[in-house]
Amino acid sequence: MGVIEFSHVSLTMPRTKRRQGSGRKHRLRRFAGETSRTMVPVLQDVSFTVNKGESVAIVSAKPLMRTSLIRLAAATLIPDSGSVTRTERVVPMIAIGRAMGPTFTIRQNTYLVGALLGMSPEELTEKLPSIIEFAELGSHLDRHLRGAPPGARQRLAWSIAMAVDADVYAIDQTLVVGGLEFRQKCWSAVDTLRENGATFLVSSDGAKQYRRFCDRGLYFDQGVLIADTTVPQALALAREARREPLGE
Amino acid sequence: MLVLRDLQNQYTKFRLGYLWSLLEPLGMSLVLWLVFSVLLGDRALGLSPYLLFLSVAILPWWWFTKSVNASTKIFRRARGELAFSALPPQIWVMRTVLSTSVEFIFSLPVIVLAIVLTRDLPGIYILFFPVAILLQFLLLYGIGLLVSSLSVVIPDLARVVKIVVRAMFYLSPILYSITNIPQSLQSIAAINPLVGILGLYRIGWWPEEHTTVVSLVISLSVGAALFIAGIYTFHRLKSRILKEA
Repeated sequence: MGVIEFSHVSLTMPRTKRRQGSGRKHRLRRFAGETSRTMVPVLQDVSFTVNKGESVAIVSAKPLMRTSLIRLAAATLIPDSGSVTRTERVVPMIAIGRAMGPTFTIRQNTYLVGALLGMSPEELTEKLPSIIEFAELGSHLDRHLRGAPPGARQRLAWSIAMAVDADVYAIDQTLVVGGLEFRQKCWSAVDTLRENGATFLVSSDGAKQYRRFCDRGLYFDQGVLIADTTVPQALALAREARREPLGE
Repeated sequence: MLVLRDLQNQYTKFRLGYLWSLLEPLGMSLVLWLVFSVLLGDRALGLSPYLLFLSVAILPWWWFTKSVNASTKIFRRARGELAFSALPPQIWVMRTVLSTSVEFIFSLPVIVLAIVLTRDLPGIYILFFPVAILLQFLLLYGIGLLVSSLSVVIPDLARVVKIVVRAMFYLSPILYSITNIPQSLQSIAAINPLVGILGLYRIGWWPEEHTTVVSLVISLSVGAALFIAGIYTFHRLKSRILKEA
């Protein structure tokens, strides 16, 4: 029994097509029903199981697909068909910083985002010191996020997500930002959690650093699960797919 | 938590902060009072004392407008939050309605001020006042669900809602009393759910005005229908809302 199970999941997402024609022409087209908003298929009949303690890399060239997969795993998105079941709480680590308000202080933002991730205020009060310490924002606690040092938003986002009591983390690559030092700290935190038996779902477009810490790679192309193999192999597939269009 | 942030955002933006939720409806009542009571003199609409009559209805109206207009933007504003939060999306609607309600409660001293100015104490029927607040809250939540989920699919809805809300200002007994409407039209006017609710707000002072039971029932059942329609639409569109986030 896996921690997260995808069975025959299909999903389409709305995307804005490039504007066709300008001014009146464009408006007429929209009016005629040729809307610029179209549904693009993202996943097609995808089934896989993530087992406890595993670290799985999602290798795909499409960022939208990777983010959607993570959101599906964390139940912040409902599949069109098929089902996603999970036995534990999944923390989606995607673009958390977007929810923070620049006019709120670091402390307020911590409570806000923590609450959105499902933590209770008491729990947050208890964890606040460790969150702030990890984010290296001790001296800025009661300052507006606007005036905080650059990168504070991302560091804080990461630290809060890590503080959630969960066994499954779904990490989007784009969240891994900040200075080199902080990034290394993040990955070592991930390693510690992994040793404690946490499960990870990592989205990547084929970057090398995932090689060292994921033990399974899922390669997707055009929304179809092509290969469920080891990470090096999945990365090799991704490289090949990238090379092909160039060779034509 | 979200409600607190909303309020903070609201009140720290301007220098007078909280005072604005008193001054805004107060100013509005004064202007309308001047026009309809002082300038138009004997052709007076509504019931006297007009200042009080006006402010009792204006405050709930203000609440209604704010909440409904804000509803059109709920999910557009919450995009980033919805993407990673597994909380049910209804919470964002509830948050908007709640924070506007708090503003409404904060603005209630305006009515107290009007009572002091006009020295007109309400009767026993004032007990319906909290009932009206509760009903309006439910109505706003229903409309909020309906409008917010529909405007995800139809972005133009925000404009339409603005116009409808503006029209409702004149279609609802705010400036005038329901008794100013010809008898034959009263039950048609009662289709507007605000008629019943505003009637309940005013019943404490003007029991003679009180809307007939029939029109009260009509207007409350329209309100209930809106509430159900809101919940239904929301659940139909839930996955779409999440996708747009």
